[in-house]
Amino acid sequence: MDSVISADRLTKKYGELTAVDAISFSINEGECFGFLGPNGAGKTTTVRMIHCVSPISEGSVSVFGQAAGINNRAIKKITGVIPQEITLDNDLTVYENLMVFARFFDIPRSEAKERVAGLLAFVELEHKRNSRIGQLSTGMKRRILIARALLNNPRLIIADEPTTGLDPQARHLIWQRLRSLKKQGVTLILTTQYMEEAEQLCDRIVVMYQGRILKEGVPQRLVQDEIGREVVEIRASEEGDAGLLATLSPLYTGHERAGDTLYLYCTDSHALMERMLSLNLPNVLHRPATLEDVFLKLTGRSLIE
Amino acid sequence: MNLSYRIYYVFLRNLISYKRFIIPTFVVSLGQPLFYLVTFGLGMGAYMGHFGGKPYLHFLVPGVLISSVMMAATFECLYGTFVKIVHEHLYDSLVATPVSAEDAVAGDIAWASFRGLISGTLMLIIAMALGVLPASWTALPALVLLMIFTGLLFASLAMIVTSVAPNFDFFSYYTELIITPMFFFSGVFFPLDRFPAWMQTFAQFLPLTHAVALSRALFAGEISSALLIHIAALCALGTVAFVVGIKRMKKRLIT
Repeated sequence: MDSVISADRLTKKYGELTAVDAISFSINEGECFGFLGPNGAGKTTTVRMIHCVSPISEGSVSVFGQAAGINNRAIKKITGVIPQEITLDNDLTVYENLMVFARFFDIPRSEAKERVAGLLAFVELEHKRNSRIGQLSTGMKRRILIARALLNNPRLIIADEPTTGLDPQARHLIWQRLRSLKKQGVTLILTTQYMEEAEQLCDRIVVMYQGRILKEGVPQRLVQDEIGREVVEIRASEEGDAGLLATLSPLYTGHERAGDTLYLYCTDSHALMERMLSLNLPNVLHRPATLEDVFLKLTGRSLIE
Repeated sequence: MNLSYRIYYVFLRNLISYKRFIIPTFVVSLGQPLFYLVTFGLGMGAYMGHFGGKPYLHFLVPGVLISSVMMAATFECLYGTFVKIVHEHLYDSLVATPVSAEDAVAGDIAWASFRGLISGTLMLIIAMALGVLPASWTALPALVLLMIFTGLLFASLAMIVTSVAPNFDFFSYYTELIITPMFFFSGVFFPLDRFPAWMQTFAQFLPLTHAVALSRALFAGEISSALLIHIAALCALGTVAFVVGIKRMKKRLIT
């Protein structure tokens, strides 16, 4: 596969603060590439540099052969952005929002009309064509943002936390739409704090923390390599940890303590669970390992302010 | 500066949204100038008698007209633009398209100038109904040009203020400490030649002074080479304000 976006020691500084710290990555055509990280990790700043709305401090990124910061208009022409904030035009109707936006891309009026009709159908909002933005639910607004991002038939779509604040129904609808775009061969960049979202959508992810990339890989492989297959959570006070860990060794492959919970990682929990049953521990939860475990292991389980 | 024809698209966006606000904005942009015309022009004018051979209203109209252009353009680029940047994040989505930040800001300045032109034109219609007319029909296009340019100048100045404004309250400093005093020091209500010398010199630094002088000359039909100084002053101030306004605002938008 061809790499269509490649970043080389990409850096963003705001005065003393380094928001993105010399990161390098490359994204292949047609894949969904995810940036995961807690608030303030530098995900949004990174994608803002990719689609040329934030000047690059050091390093470089090229998008479909164009250098960001130099050929900005060319990059913006082929990019669709689904922003984190709802940036719809409250003074206009749904239809006017999309028509006005189409103009920004030099799309002729007759063609814009066709595309707007098609996109409203795609996000299932034809019946809201003449509504003002204020009359829509958050989920509908997010769907309009998707329709708006597709007006210019982009080769690259950047979705910056596209489902934040949505109910499960709306979230699943948006995931379906993003997956069907991927099927059409569009390259997708996603930032998210939701591990489930990354597992649902991404072919590859990077975990970002404090402006750096901690890990890169295929979601399932990352879970395997970092955690194993299963996790056992034990709610018990910390004092007993040393004794407990000694008793259960070597049935687990790794462990971590966070607050009131001891996490044990393992590949096959059968023997471990048997041993624990004999210990008669009260608060035990046994579940498959997820990307969330990887994420919390890498970025720390304590609250990040 | 990365300006392109896309300025027009931004202007068009404003025009489409304007159709829902057209009546309220007519009321707002006419209210204050009308109030000045009635109180000063008709009320005080009755005591002043003739003023340079004509009723006081004839002196007042050209100044109030151009001031209404100033006000409309100023408010559009203060409150209007601020809402679009901070409350609606409209500029964020604009700059993610081939429309550059410079296009977006220039589009808003052009739009504010157009709003100024609408205000001024409404005033002109009322003035004409009151019997105050430009010197000749040929003065009319010149007056329109002056209104457009005055609008661009004050929209650009307001854009500079908006580029550093943390909140709405900040705008009061500009409107109360700069715009309102300028109104009284620029020869709108009385001729500058009765002012002490230092105040006359001070007035020459106010952009409104030059706009008022030109407007009045167009109404009186007193066209002379002496007006060139006013044209030069407006052009110089307008160009500087436009460039600075766009650059400052770009700094705020692109971080």
